[in-house]
Amino acid sequence: MKKWNFVLIAVLLVMSQVLAACAPAATPTEPAATEPVVVEPTKVPEVEPTKEPVEPTAVPEPTKPPEPIDILLWAQATVTEAGAPPDDWIAYERILEELNINLTYVIIPTGADGEAKLNAVAAANDLPDLFQLVSASGDSRGALKRLVDLGLVAPVDDLMPLMPERVKLHYNDPLAIDLVTFDGKQYGLPEPPPLPRREGFVIRQDWLDKLDLEAPTTPEEILAVAKAFTEQDPDGNGQNDTYGLGGFIVGQGLGNRFDFIMGAYGVPGLWNFNDPGNFGLNVRNPLYPEALAFFKSIVDAKVIDPDWPTLTRDDFRARWKQGLFGIMWEDFAALSNKSNYEPFDTNFPEGEWIPVAAPVGPNFESFYGVYTGRGQIFAISQKAADDGKGEAIARLLEWMATDGYYLLGFGEEGVNFIIDANGNISTEGLDPAQAYTAAERQPFTQMRNQLVFYNSEQEIAARYPTYNTLNGRLMEPMKFLTFFQGQPWVDGRGIQVILPLENAADFDRFYSEGILQFVLGQKELNDTTWAEYLTGLDGVGAADYEASAKQNLIDAGLLK
Amino acid sequence: MLQTRTRDAVVYQIGLAIFLTIILLLILIPFWRVIVTAVIPLDIYTHQGVPFFLSPTKWTFEAFKQLLTHSMFPRAALNSVIITVLGAAISLFLTVPLAYGLSTRSMPGRKVIMTFVLIIYLFSPGLIPVYLLITGMKLTNNYLAIILPPAVSVYNTLVMMGFFEGLPEELKESARLDGANELQVLLRIILPLSKPILLTIGLFYAVYFWNEFFTPILYLNDNDLIPLPVLLRNILISASFNEYVEYNAFSSSSLESLKSAGVLITMLPMLMLYPWIQRYFTKGTLVGGVKG
Repeated sequence: MKKWNFVLIAVLLVMSQVLAACAPAATPTEPAATEPVVVEPTKVPEVEPTKEPVEPTAVPEPTKPPEPIDILLWAQATVTEAGAPPDDWIAYERILEELNINLTYVIIPTGADGEAKLNAVAAANDLPDLFQLVSASGDSRGALKRLVDLGLVAPVDDLMPLMPERVKLHYNDPLAIDLVTFDGKQYGLPEPPPLPRREGFVIRQDWLDKLDLEAPTTPEEILAVAKAFTEQDPDGNGQNDTYGLGGFIVGQGLGNRFDFIMGAYGVPGLWNFNDPGNFGLNVRNPLYPEALAFFKSIVDAKVIDPDWPTLTRDDFRARWKQGLFGIMWEDFAALSNKSNYEPFDTNFPEGEWIPVAAPVGPNFESFYGVYTGRGQIFAISQKAADDGKGEAIARLLEWMATDGYYLLGFGEEGVNFIIDANGNISTEGLDPAQAYTAAERQPFTQMRNQLVFYNSEQEIAARYPTYNTLNGRLMEPMKFLTFFQGQPWVDGRGIQVILPLENAADFDRFYSEGILQFVLGQKELNDTTWAEYLTGLDGVGAADYEASAKQNLIDAGLLK
Repeated sequence: MLQTRTRDAVVYQIGLAIFLTIILLLILIPFWRVIVTAVIPLDIYTHQGVPFFLSPTKWTFEAFKQLLTHSMFPRAALNSVIITVLGAAISLFLTVPLAYGLSTRSMPGRKVIMTFVLIIYLFSPGLIPVYLLITGMKLTNNYLAIILPPAVSVYNTLVMMGFFEGLPEELKESARLDGANELQVLLRIILPLSKPILLTIGLFYAVYFWNEFFTPILYLNDNDLIPLPVLLRNILISASFNEYVEYNAFSSSSLESLKSAGVLITMLPMLMLYPWIQRYFTKGTLVGGVKG
């Protein structure tokens, strides 16, 4: 009896270890190693020859397959906290009725979590039928290429003719198509980027008025105005609590939020896309240390929020709403959308931000920033293609761009939105709880930013309506957007084909820390120290990086 | 001499008190800031940021209200409770026999099994093999996908094993002499004496499952199954990225307040549970057990 008890205990122990163990039960299936489907050629029906002319018979319409096709779609949410649409969502019904597709829509997380989830299913060769590429670093194209190299993604060239309207509205950028084409085949479906060139340089008009100043047009004028904002109490509260400039770092070096200053010297961003004949790192340009020296003078004059090197985006946005500074670079919607503007409006009803044109530098150069144009990329899994789902997916995507556009983007007409006499989307006269902007309606339009919207004027006007501020001033977010988009930008979309160095982390760290040390005065900026910096940069692979980047662009046909 | 020793002892005590006070402040100050940030009104926050001290008369619980009244909050909280309770129960159910078996020196193959357990402790399999196992077992969209992989923690097993080893062997012998088999010894003698360790390890498991975040993201595609940490994360991301959408759910609270309120909401259940369990941490008395 004792013996059997020990056996029982040992079995229990082993069973619990099996659960805690993690050796795979089976080896992962090889990706895309399926046998080609052999289709028997249909026999040509025998027709008896007749003497009389035969009337042409009508081509029978293709019959729908008898069983609905199951399509699994993974995409990010437009409003992450709102959740997925309920199971009885009318769109599911309509897709089933009209397309004979049984759609399952799964929302995937953003950033590193979403990337890890996608990588896990890819490793298990279990990618969904249609899915959005997710990358923590924003490099969706790189994520797509990795999956293409593993044979997990199907080419979509044959499907494009099946969705003509969608191609016209969504996949109409030749460069974007090139970027998702590998070895002559298109593997990705590049959705339009969300409102490109949407950030810009803005200044407090009320502060300018109070100090009787004009908006700056050159870097020197920016410095002068910043000094005035810092020293002359522009908010009139009797306290020395304002700065000229505010900002924070996004990206390498000084980041892209100060590119409007670097652009005045012709050196915005990391790469000089604006000089294709002389492609390379902007730091090689003799004007770069000059631009850096000017920025250093802003820091030395203490006219910039001193926390700028370490601020987060949310802290920065809290600060301009607190009236801490009067010159900044900001996203048009983060600045002027009603919900975002409200706290600032409450604090400063007479406050007003205006857009400012790109400053012109000493050599008459002027660039607002670098436009990288990264949009969402979707792909179809090889597994889905092998299961014959490609055509159904194409029909689904075409439906989303045509019959399903309003339903997926706004809801049902007359219930969730109306189209007024001017063709604008509106919610006038509708039950507020049913309006497409209501909290309760957000789960029903979760796909809008990922798969539906293509930046039409009607869409944008609906998403960013005008409103009146507390003092009755008309606020038009679209005016900011139009202004920003009209400024001179460097087309930097080629950055999507540039592969990172193997020691990218070392390069990025050396590059960024070096620039910050100069700007913050931790290292003196002169010809000698700058040459040493460039030598050090070459020591972490800068020259190789330039050579490989140039080759990447040539291979992609973006550089001659 | 005595006076010197007394003076030294006093100096030591004072120094220790100062040191511990500093440690306490280092812990309390950030915690206090989280509380203040969670209750600061939006107008004060946007005007002057987060002050060190905010009068309780100005506190607002708007951020808590925004989170707690979110339509998905009750379901997410229920999911968290289910995962926590079920997870702790299953984990204890599996850990106890393993720990007891390993604590029984006369068990055949004990060394082999112990070696196996230690190998698992030292080497992590990584994400992909576990994912393949779970999907192969068709456990996606199932609470068990969250509960089963970490169900037996080697660390907790070793702690429990140490406790069982510390129990007098005479207790087991006396039970065996009375005719009890090993299972009966475990259930009727060992477990009643093991309340402190069961509650301690149970609490460790409960905290683990309550805070579990990544595995729900990986295995739970159904929105009705997501637990509270995932929902709170989604809410914070939404509030942070509101310039890309025209809809703003959180106009009456700042993002920082929402984050702080989220931290407090998530930690509150565990904070309430600890004092309740702490009273069971005192050693169980064995009076009468051995003598009998």
